[in-house]
Order: sequence, then structure tokens, then C-alpha cells
Amino acid sequence: MFDIEFNSLAEALLMQSQNGQNHGIYVWSVVLIVILCISISFVFYKYKIKEISKKIK
Amino acid sequence: MKPVRKKRLQTVLLILVTSALGSFLIIRALDSNLDFFYTPSEIFLEEIPENKRIKIGGMVLESSVIREKTKISFIVTDYQGSINVEFDGIVPDLFKEGSGVVVLGYLKDKTIIAEEVLAKHDENYMPPSIDIEK
Amino acid sequence: MFQVNRAYPYIFYLSLITYLLSIFWGLFLTPEDFVQGNSYRIIYLHVPASFISQSLYLAMAIASAVYLIWKVKLSVYLVRSIAPIGAVTTFIALISGSIWGIPTWGTWWVWDARIVSTLILFIMYLGLISLHDSFNNNEKADKFLSILVLVGSVNIPIIKMSVEWWSTLHQPASITLSEKPAIDLVMLYPLFGSIIGFTGLIACLVILSSKLQIIKREKNKSWVKDYV
Repeated sequence: MFDIEFNSLAEALLMQSQNGQNHGIYVWSVVLIVILCISISFVFYKYKIKEISKKIK
Repeated sequence: MKPVRKKRLQTVLLILVTSALGSFLIIRALDSNLDFFYTPSEIFLEEIPENKRIKIGGMVLESSVIREKTKISFIVTDYQGSINVEFDGIVPDLFKEGSGVVVLGYLKDKTIIAEEVLAKHDENYMPPSIDIEK
Repeated sequence: MFQVNRAYPYIFYLSLITYLLSIFWGLFLTPEDFVQGNSYRIIYLHVPASFISQSLYLAMAIASAVYLIWKVKLSVYLVRSIAPIGAVTTFIALISGSIWGIPTWGTWWVWDARIVSTLILFIMYLGLISLHDSFNNNEKADKFLSILVLVGSVNIPIIKMSVEWWSTLHQPASITLSEKPAIDLVMLYPLFGSIIGFTGLIACLVILSSKLQIIKREKNKSWVKDYV
């Protein structure tokens, strides 16, 4: 169940499927977008809370 | 519950019921326009003009695919009716005999002249090894 | 607020670890799909986001009803704080679905019922955000906002059922309450993990967002001044 599907980092980045197509570009761009969206949201709210707290003080 | 809250609850329910009813009526009025595609058996029930762009969805009939250079022809079926499709272009990777397909194009002499071929896959996900065992 | 503050780091790190491990599991330790190949791995990012985008709207609708009936101020603050996060998750769902569509369907966009109803959800979130900001009177805005959220909640069952009611390019649900999942177990476990982890992370965002909302709206109260 826990076999690593890819033999090297390059293979994992390319993600070649059985039909010969490289799907890595699709998978990795989605991963990037999700990480960006979520971390930007966290930073945004943390910053906003800090900002308004300073103002009130 | 206090009377004033009871009244507000009734208002909330009224809003929900009204909007549900409203959207139900809109959806009923639009009905088949909300369908993404026709099935092959539906297509001959209606009079479809030659210049109307239509979408047909169904299965690619087994061993019906004929390739000739860049041109490809195949039969789309819903196992009740079927229709010929001709297409000049690149089909998606998931296009296969016996799997789902949606074709966009024009009806001409009981054949669809396709402008676009999309692959439709189902909700099943499994590793390739299991597929072979079955 | 103080209890939530204490629990927050636990929720955050637990769900972050769960999410990252599940994504790692899904991307590297599961076999590829027999039809879609490796592109199916997008499921581990797409499904949690889609699930959360609809759940957040349901939570907003419930909070709106609570506000309208019991006039609990906190619940309308919750409505306000959820809307932008709902917009972000719906955005992720739409974009990841589009990218997934390229290798599988052969197109990144079609006007089928599932995709259009999700786009409507996204526009509704944006509308709710801008609407509240355009009001001067907070209380009037709160009431109007809650009513609109309730009206818009009919879209949620439409999104859910769109793949059953109409013919769509989008496939029907793989995981349902009534039937055995149509997805193999080795692929299903990391999917559940990613849904749980993502839900936790989004809960953290909602906590932060509500905190901001409460401080903003109650900034003249002495307890807020003591708190910050």
C-alpha cells in the first residue's frame, strides 16, 4: 500500500502516466495555487488583526 | 418561543420557501436548456436545423472508430439509439472505444460534423492493476 | 474568544499536518488511476475545496437564520467572516477543476450545470462581500445580508443535485452517504485525510476572520481594549 510511485524527483515532477502523457504540470500547478491561496489568506488575516489591534491601543 | 421570535421564524421559513419555489419554477421553465447534451436517441425525436450547433453525449461504440490521417469517425450510442460522428482534429487522451464522449457540432445527413470532441469520464477511480484482474 | 485562542494552535498544527501528510500520501503513495493516469491526483485538492465551499455557505445560511430569529449579533459576524473564505475556497474549486479538465475532458471550461452553479456560488460570495461594505448603517446591512444569504441557499442543493438532474460533463459524486464509494480504498483514505485536514485549516481561517470582525465591530467596548 505504501510503495512510492515515483523513482526520482524528476519523475515525480513530470508524473508521466501510462498513456505517455505528462500530468505533472497540471497537478503541481494546482498544488501551487492551493498553497498560495491558503497561505495568503492566513497572512492577510494575521496582518489585519495586528493592524487593528495597534490602532485601538 | 416568544411570539416575536415565532414571527421571525415564520419570516425566515417564508423566505426559504419563496426562493425555493421561485428557483423551482425558473428551472422548470428552462428544463432541457439546462442539459449539457442530447443523447443519440433524443436527437431524432426533434427537428434540428442544420445550422444549429448541438452537443451529443454518449458512449463511443466498440470497434466503430475509423482513423484516416487526421480524420476520425465513430459511432456515439446510448444503447437505444446511435449516430455517426465525423471529426477532423485531435481527440482528448481519454477518448477510447467504450468510454464516454461529448461531441459538439452540426447535424448533416444523419451524421454529426464535429467541431470539438470532449471526453467524459465516470465517477469510478481505481488502480490499473485491479482493472486487469477483473 | 479566550478559549478559542487557547485551542487555536492545536487545531491549526493538527490539521496542517493531517492535510500535508494526506496530500503527500495522495500524490506519491497511491497508484495512478486506470483511466485518468496521474492527473486524477488533483482530486486530493479539488474535492476538499469544493466540499468546503458548499459547507461554508450552509453554515452561513444557518447563522443568518439564527441572526434573523434570535438577533444574536455574533452569528451575523460569523456570516460576514465566512463570506471571503467561501470565495477563496470556491475559487480554488473552480481553478483546480479547470486545470483538471484540460488533460481529462480536453477543455478547461464548459457551460454545464455543475460548473455554472458553482460559478454562481462564487459570484454570490463576492456579491455578499461587496454588498455589506457598501452599506453605511451596520444594522440594516446585517439584516439585508442575512436575508440574501437565505435566498441564495437554494443554490446549494442545486449544485449538489446538478449532476443527477441534468446531463453534465462533470461526473456524478464518487462518495455518497447511501452507496459504496466508487473510488478504490487505497485512493479513498488519503482523500478523507485531505478533506479532514482542509476542513481544519479553513476552520482556523474562519476563527481568525471572526476575530477580526469582532474587534472591528466592538472596538469601542472596554473588553476589546483590554483584550488587544
